[in-house]
Amino acid sequence: MTITDATRDPYAGTNSGSPRRFLYELNPLAKFAAPLPALVLLIFVRDFATPLAFIALAYAVLLAGARMSRLLAAILFVALPATVVLLGTGFALWTNPELVRNTTPLLQIGAWTLYSGAVELGLATGIRLAAIVALALMPGLTTAGPDIARSMVQQLRVPYRIGYTALAAFRFVPRFRHELDVIRQAHRVRASNDSRGPFAAIARGTGYIVPLLAGAIRHAERVALAMDSRAFGAHPDRTERYLVPFRRRDSVFVIAFWLITAALLWVFFPWGLS
Amino acid sequence: MTEPARDETADAAPTRTALARVEHLAVRHDGAPLDTPADVTFTVLPGEVVLVLGPSGSGKSTLALTLNGLIPQELPAKTSGHVEIAGYNAAETPVSTLSQHVGMVFQDPDTQLVTGTLLDEVAFGPENLRLPVAEVLERAETALRRMSLWDRRHENPDVLSGGGRQRLAIAAAIAMGSPLIVLDEPTANLDPQGIEDVYAALAELASDPERGILLVEHNLDAAIAIATRVVVIDQLGRLVADGSIDAILRGRAAELQDLGVWLPTSALAALRLRRAGYSLDPLPLTPAELTTALDASPPPADWRPTPLVHVTSRDRMPQPVLSATNLHVRRGRTEVLHGIDLEIQPGDFVAIVGGNGAGKTTLLQALSGVIPPPRGSAFIDGQDITRLGRKRVHERVGFVFQNPEHQFIAHTVFDELAHGIRRSRFDEHEVRERVDEMLRRFGLTDKAEAHPFHLSGGQKRRLSVGTALISGAGVLALDEPTFGQDRARADELLKLLRDLNRDGTTIVIVTHDMQLVTEYAHRTVVMRDGRVAAVGATEEIFADTALVESAGLRLPPLRQALQGVTRHPELLRATRLDNLPGSAQ
Amino acid sequence: MRTRVLSTRVLLTCAAIGVVTGLFGGIAGWVTPVVIVSAPFVYGLVLGVHVLPGIIAQEAIRLPWVALMTHVMAALVASALAPQWAFRFLGTALLFGGIQEVVAALTRYRVWAPWRFFISAVIIGILVAVVVAFVAHMATLAPWAQVAYIAISILGPVLWTAVGLWIGVGLRRAGVTRR
Ligand SMILES: Nc1ncnc2c1ncn2[C@@H]1O[C@H](COP(=O)(O)OP(=O)(O)OP(=O)(O)O)[C@@H](O)[C@H]1O
Ligand SMILES: Nc1ncnc2c1ncn2[C@@H]1O[C@H](COP(=O)(O)OP(=O)(O)OP(=O)(O)O)[C@@H](O)[C@H]1O
Ligand SMILES: [Mg+2]
Ligand SMILES: [Mg+2]
Repeated sequence: MTITDATRDPYAGTNSGSPRRFLYELNPLAKFAAPLPALVLLIFVRDFATPLAFIALAYAVLLAGARMSRLLAAILFVALPATVVLLGTGFALWTNPELVRNTTPLLQIGAWTLYSGAVELGLATGIRLAAIVALALMPGLTTAGPDIARSMVQQLRVPYRIGYTALAAFRFVPRFRHELDVIRQAHRVRASNDSRGPFAAIARGTGYIVPLLAGAIRHAERVALAMDSRAFGAHPDRTERYLVPFRRRDSVFVIAFWLITAALLWVFFPWGLS
Repeated sequence: MTEPARDETADAAPTRTALARVEHLAVRHDGAPLDTPADVTFTVLPGEVVLVLGPSGSGKSTLALTLNGLIPQELPAKTSGHVEIAGYNAAETPVSTLSQHVGMVFQDPDTQLVTGTLLDEVAFGPENLRLPVAEVLERAETALRRMSLWDRRHENPDVLSGGGRQRLAIAAAIAMGSPLIVLDEPTANLDPQGIEDVYAALAELASDPERGILLVEHNLDAAIAIATRVVVIDQLGRLVADGSIDAILRGRAAELQDLGVWLPTSALAALRLRRAGYSLDPLPLTPAELTTALDASPPPADWRPTPLVHVTSRDRMPQPVLSATNLHVRRGRTEVLHGIDLEIQPGDFVAIVGGNGAGKTTLLQALSGVIPPPRGSAFIDGQDITRLGRKRVHERVGFVFQNPEHQFIAHTVFDELAHGIRRSRFDEHEVRERVDEMLRRFGLTDKAEAHPFHLSGGQKRRLSVGTALISGAGVLALDEPTFGQDRARADELLKLLRDLNRDGTTIVIVTHDMQLVTEYAHRTVVMRDGRVAAVGATEEIFADTALVESAGLRLPPLRQALQGVTRHPELLRATRLDNLPGSAQ
Repeated sequence: MRTRVLSTRVLLTCAAIGVVTGLFGGIAGWVTPVVIVSAPFVYGLVLGVHVLPGIIAQEAIRLPWVALMTHVMAALVASALAPQWAFRFLGTALLFGGIQEVVAALTRYRVWAPWRFFISAVIIGILVAVVVAFVAHMATLAPWAQVAYIAISILGPVLWTAVGLWIGVGLRRAGVTRR
């Protein structure tokens, strides 16, 4: 997924998919900037149509621009719809009955009544959250972490020492995960009781975190020595072999997305309703 | 900082400029009571491979870090004396400048990797120097080719073996363009194959007359093959010897041994054989030299055969403490152990050996109930592990993890030991008694109130063994307990285990150190591809060269030396130093 | 010699703390929908976990910028584990980290007493309450649930701050932190 400038670096392998899967080829910042206004505005939206329109937009972009993996399919066609339904019912149960007393009662158990208005409110919230998640998946699923770090350095002018700290952090993840597994195993062997329940679990979890952090910090200090001994941070900038350029197509993508966002909001104008 | 006059110590070969010149160097870490090192002077010239020896804690790693300025520039410490690298004063020249003259390779390959592919890794340093892309790539290619890693340049460093990753670290150091490479125990974490790989790579580097290597290494058996000079530091961090391998290692071997410096196994064996009356002069340092020297030596005058120490526990056949019948274990989606049958007798000292990924850890964990074995295939004292309940299993079998810090759960050493017995049948008085007894036994009495993380490496290791034993475990299982430790500390631990074993504890260890296996284990289990390739008395296993090599292992140095000896049949079967005639000291 | 605000050592220590707390943040991400479905008003407890990076970082390394730095690292790692929340992670990182930095800056990086950490916790709690109220349309909840929700939203960060301080104490006892 790494974007490389093949003319300057003949050795850098580019393993992006087919050119049709354009999301991988876009600059990470463009992918984050495009849905941002929509995300912020969705927080204040209260109707059905607007979030549904944005879900449709996000699905269209993902289906066209991302490689269809088993993970993506599971998220788009199973997890998200299921979440909407579950959230809808969940929120419906928690809704204040006073707000919806005038709507049709759907279900009555003892003194408690489920009103259609409650279901509507619940589903609206569920769909809204689904829209927010679906928009976030566009950058979330198609961007390699290191590229975010690189574009922060190259476009946002974040000091490269911080960008490279992020790159090193990504290498820490598998190591610390394995370390956590071993610590859990070791503590299980030591624990003389296997009490269950959330409090015992929290107590156990906090017992893992100090050894994990202690090992992590020591590891980090050693890596820092190794990086310093290879002249890391010697100069205000460094040679970059991997360029994550912000090209015209990135601007086009962002502006197009913003225009569509504006158009959708114009058409549905969701604020008159709630 | 004092700066002695330059030409004061222009002793050796004035025609060549030194790669590194260290004069009266002393370093005090912030908060440390003493200088380590305290007073060290030596030079490294092009073409030299300088081996730095000294007991643990004498300041070898500290010395290495002063060479590229990390001490005192990045780590809090006070230095005095003078370190000069290619004419620069190392204490004041920026680390980035020095890094073009001194490349560093550290002990743990994982702590030296920053990026996602081999090529990026090697390019990382030159990129920091703002070299143009073309030159970065050229340097990276040259360095990777020298370490025979060029074909794998697009792979993730994680998929390399330990030896491969260490060669990558060496490649990254030479890509900086540094003529001097400093390596601090580069093979301490590697299996026999990895050690061989790294030394093959270093030998290739050493053949370059422009280049110098400074090597801190406890594993002398491997280092001796490439070193040209030795610098020895004593416990207090003072220079005690500086000279050729011949002059120091052969000439002053006994003195070094007294200092606590580890010697090559062949030299240790030879010293002992000398005491038994063999004439071995000059002192052999490698297995091949020992073979030759022995064949040249007449048998000692008062020769009498030393009986081999035979394992007694094998003769009785009581019920096994740990056993597996047709044990299959899956990890993730693949089956890792394919039908293991194994019995471990009470009082035995068993080593499990095998190449990386052979299934040693999995076997040890299944046998001791750390991972659940399938029903009906693993037994403790004849009872199915899966029916015993975790608590009873762990009281019977103590498991000691590789990194002792992983298993500490209390805030003081005392509580750490008490934890295992507080919740079961004992009242506080009994707990105190048993813990005090354990503290005394492991020499930790004055550390009772210390935080476990504040102990030294060796003390941490002893504490972890103590916590495993205190609830009365009769079996101790240890997974690579010597990983990442120097030979001296490994030896100390194994001696502790041998004492426990003499008192009746059954010991099962997994290790890559073949010499330690032969020194201490009565029986050896050889694993290959998830199956037991052989089980038997350690002497018998290591007498079978073909078997050992087919399992991806190497013969321990002593066996390598003795198997070729033709003149002294009495030595042919010896595998450990104890088997040899002559006194231990 | 240049003097840099943050040495490589400090930067990477932040990264290490960020990765460990980011693992927790990723878990919180996967727990979120479960909580929202079953008991939306305790969401503050889940969201509160995101104060940890800054607290632990400031406890371990008492320097400017370490809280924000660690938060961003944690957000990047958590986003890799739960990509659907990438925006939320980055947003909370900047917000929470920013507040913690500002509070530390107002005390001129001299005062590190626990009360100082709790001030940032309460500010964060109030902000969380407002934002989440909009996102999850809390106005529709039953009155008692709204009260519970606001209380728990403030309590969440405060509780997790206490946990963070406790971890800091543990680290100091273990001798890992720098004075
Ligand atoms: N960062 C540090 N702060 C304080 N003391 C330290 C630090 N690093 C090392 N020391 C102390 O300095 C002394 C020398 O340590 P050093 O690691 O250089 O020894 P060494 O010869 O490399 O030992 P080993 O063979 O065990 O690796 C030891 O007593 C150690 O405890
Ligand atoms: N948690 C796991 N999930 C999946 N596979 C695993 C897991 N742990 C180990 N394996 C695999 O099982 C095989 C045996 O692993 P094991 O750790 O037992 O080997 P080992 O002999 O101890 O190796 P080493 O010398 O490297 O420690 C290896 O191929 C390893 O990749
Ligand atoms: Mg050392
Ligand atoms: Mg293993």
